[in-house]
Amino acid sequence: MNRIPITLLVNGEPYSLAVPPNKTLLEVLRDDLELMGTREGCGVGACGACTVLIDGVPARSCLTLAVDVQGLSITTIEGLAEGDELHPVQEAFVERHAIQCGYCSSGMILTAKALLDKKKRPTKDEIKRAISGNICRCTGYAKIEDAIATAAKKLATPSK
Amino acid sequence: MTEASLIGKSMVRSDTVAKAAGQALYTADLKLPRMLVGKVLRSPHPHARILNIDTSRAERLRGVKAVITGRDGHGVKWGVFPYTQDHDMVPTDKVRYIGEEVAAVAAVDEETALEALSLIDVEYEPLPAVFTIEEALKEGAPLVHDQYKNNINVHVHIEVGDTQKAFKEADIVLEDTFEAAGEMYGMLEPYAVVAHYTPDGYLDIWMPNAGPHVRAKALSNLLKMPLNKIRVHHINSGGAFGGRSEISPGDFVTSLLAIKSGRPVKLVYTREETSIATRQVHDIVARIKTGARKDGTIIAKEFKVYYNGGAYSSTGPIATSIPFYVYEETYRLPNLVYDGYRILTNRPIRGMYRCHGRAFLAGNAMHMDKIAEELGMDPMDIRLKNGIRAGETTATGSKIISCGLQDAIKAAARKSGWKKKRGKLPPYRGIGMGCLAIMCGFPMGFRSGSSAYIRVNEDGDATIVSGVVDNGQGNESMMVQIAAHILGIPMDSVNLVCSDTEVTTHDPGAYSQAAAFVTGNAVRLAAEDARDKILTAAAQYMKVDKTRLALKDKMVYLKDDPEKAIKLTRAVRYAMSKGQHIQGYGTYIPKISFDREWVKNPYGQMAGTFSYGTSIAELEVDPETGIVRLLRMVVAHDCGNPINPMAVEGQLEGSVAMGGTATILEEHVWDGGLQLNSDFLEYKMPLSVDMPDIDTILVRSMDPEGPFGAKEGGLTISMSAYKAIANAFYDATGVWLKEFPYTPDRVLKALQAKEKGRR
Ligand code: FES
Ligand code: FES
Repeated sequence: MNRIPITLLVNGEPYSLAVPPNKTLLEVLRDDLELMGTREGCGVGACGACTVLIDGVPARSCLTLAVDVQGLSITTIEGLAEGDELHPVQEAFVERHAIQCGYCSSGMILTAKALLDKKKRPTKDEIKRAISGNICRCTGYAKIEDAIATAAKKLATPSK
Repeated sequence: MTEASLIGKSMVRSDTVAKAAGQALYTADLKLPRMLVGKVLRSPHPHARILNIDTSRAERLRGVKAVITGRDGHGVKWGVFPYTQDHDMVPTDKVRYIGEEVAAVAAVDEETALEALSLIDVEYEPLPAVFTIEEALKEGAPLVHDQYKNNINVHVHIEVGDTQKAFKEADIVLEDTFEAAGEMYGMLEPYAVVAHYTPDGYLDIWMPNAGPHVRAKALSNLLKMPLNKIRVHHINSGGAFGGRSEISPGDFVTSLLAIKSGRPVKLVYTREETSIATRQVHDIVARIKTGARKDGTIIAKEFKVYYNGGAYSSTGPIATSIPFYVYEETYRLPNLVYDGYRILTNRPIRGMYRCHGRAFLAGNAMHMDKIAEELGMDPMDIRLKNGIRAGETTATGSKIISCGLQDAIKAAARKSGWKKKRGKLPPYRGIGMGCLAIMCGFPMGFRSGSSAYIRVNEDGDATIVSGVVDNGQGNESMMVQIAAHILGIPMDSVNLVCSDTEVTTHDPGAYSQAAAFVTGNAVRLAAEDARDKILTAAAQYMKVDKTRLALKDKMVYLKDDPEKAIKLTRAVRYAMSKGQHIQGYGTYIPKISFDREWVKNPYGQMAGTFSYGTSIAELEVDPETGIVRLLRMVVAHDCGNPINPMAVEGQLEGSVAMGGTATILEEHVWDGGLQLNSDFLEYKMPLSVDMPDIDTILVRSMDPEGPFGAKEGGLTISMSAYKAIANAFYDATGVWLKEFPYTPDRVLKALQAKEKGRR
């Protein structure tokens, strides 16, 4: 298949590559950029494991064509931490036991971050609804919701 | 200085920072040099003879490096037991379900591999097939395997007391049939395998699994390779729930492709393949007869339970037994006859599941409530009355050494407002209760035990070597916590090397609730052994009696004079300079009956100990739409003593989703042998918005054998949540709904039937 040259901006870094027009963003992230933190759970848009942020909005990378997101800013889970310093949402997920097998965690954390970027103090209901497109088979969601509420508090307190 | 305790503290799990950062690796993330892509050709027929397979066109395709069929294997059939060896991982004679492995290819990329599959020509002769239990049992029905007459794969017969006499003496006798459709395991990570074979005869292999050592042994049998040349590596696993206990055809296929091509091969299943061609859950039909005295004592039980097992034995004898055992471990049953039949059909293979047995277990729970109602008893009291207690022995002979059932019932009742609510909620709103016990480890013969090894380094940090495996439940972190506690060092000073079969010690694996009780004990003993060696060295160095010393904060100190202390590193280095390296070893095997056997001798001590739990569900039924809405679940679990309370809570909450919310959502739907909902769009798993409010309660029975009193952490809720929901549904509607799941169609049908009955 013919390849189309594109430039992707992922976690602040530009990548120039040539991709077939039918290649998904998920495939490009994993196969070409080797950013394995973006997971595939279903491949049909149903589970949210492949969630990335596109210009700050959660999107399913398994349903997104790489050629369609040129010039947009893409954030994957690898782009959240600053060196060894986890992002407050990641920290909260660790502290509040929101992670069991971890397979949903990348997508959950990015979805949560997008929510908290928009809403400083989301209600319980808003949290539930924000993650309702992300399946977690392990936790029953309670600790994930708790972690997101904890992260909201962390983000509200200015760090020393 | 007081003893520093890490046990019972909610500690951050040792594995979750890497997972939060997106840096934890799962099998599909692995890349090796010159790695090929594997793909499997699957049967389009539910039952057909294979007349011929021609792979020559596929082999000639550019980029194809290997094509295999069953003929590339050694003709060895897999079975968990000697009498269930019936599974040819890639069959050569006939296929038995839609989706079964027929051939596989390894190619330079996915497109080539898929094209190669389309070039394999298979000639089939379709055979008549059976899909349901009734069809399979019909006189003259086609046989799935010739050796299983009437398609009866396993028959478990258990008899205790004099059941017929007891039924005659009973004041109340009930008899009902309960049915449940099978579910999807739905682990979020699709199944994947990476294999690499080198010409000197070594096979390196990665896959998500719940028992690396048993996996390696199975591969060794099937590939006819020595055990120590097969190395199952550690890798993160994206969930198991009972579905990753056994060897998978994917392991075998990928190994053969790697051997034949001489290159590493990665096989990643699609979601549909994961749901069809790994394992799914048995459909169950349970006929239950119960006899009780006027005072509410259950005195007789007769069970006929049919499990639709799909095409092969898998863990059949275990799956056919477990629902019964978890029931007899919960209640006193003086007289009973259990007949469990696992029936083979032309559907995919069914395995053990975290919530296995819902028709049988919820059926028994409904009977208990029915009896309570007839006698005007509180459903809570009838459970307290019949519930087993520590010191008693189960019907088939397991001694109970610790039991928090009574406490779990009372605590959950208190928290849920049971007394105020039961029978008193407004119409279409109800509350119900269910209880359960679970064995901490199945009897697995010589595999029942675990051992561990711990080395303390010159910097005072330690490395544990254990066969433990973690599918997300926190087993790895639990071992780190136990060792850190005993050695008086922080958790991040402990490294764990685990589930790598060529490096680590033996372990039964994580599919029989054995990790806390069995593996935890082995790690505890290893750490205690290491501690003893440290204290011996320190005693020599400090010239004091060893019994006066203890460990804390990387120091060795005098218990009666804590100011006198030396650094742990000093003690370790002193020991090393004397040639006494600090290496601890521990091994633990639970006290079980080794002569018990699932089919031939189902009597004797089943496990070292048992956990107990109670679920209380509160729900609402919409009579117009048939939608059941779970409002609140209160769950109490006796895990002996929680090593990491927040981790146990997480298990309970996950259990509410999988055993509770799933009761109103989950079932596989079929057209004959074709699964109609094998992806996540069609198969409905609980989402955040489907979940009730959850209250978790940890009951502490301090098991005398468990490490720090600990037992298994959570499965009693996975298998009792649906019991509570069934009884809550009756409380809400006055209808015993005997068919699972409680989807709107079933609910409406049941409500309409009740209306008709009234008119
Ligand atoms: S993998 Fe994209 S939504 Fe499931
Ligand atoms: S932690 Fe396993 S799927 Fe969410």
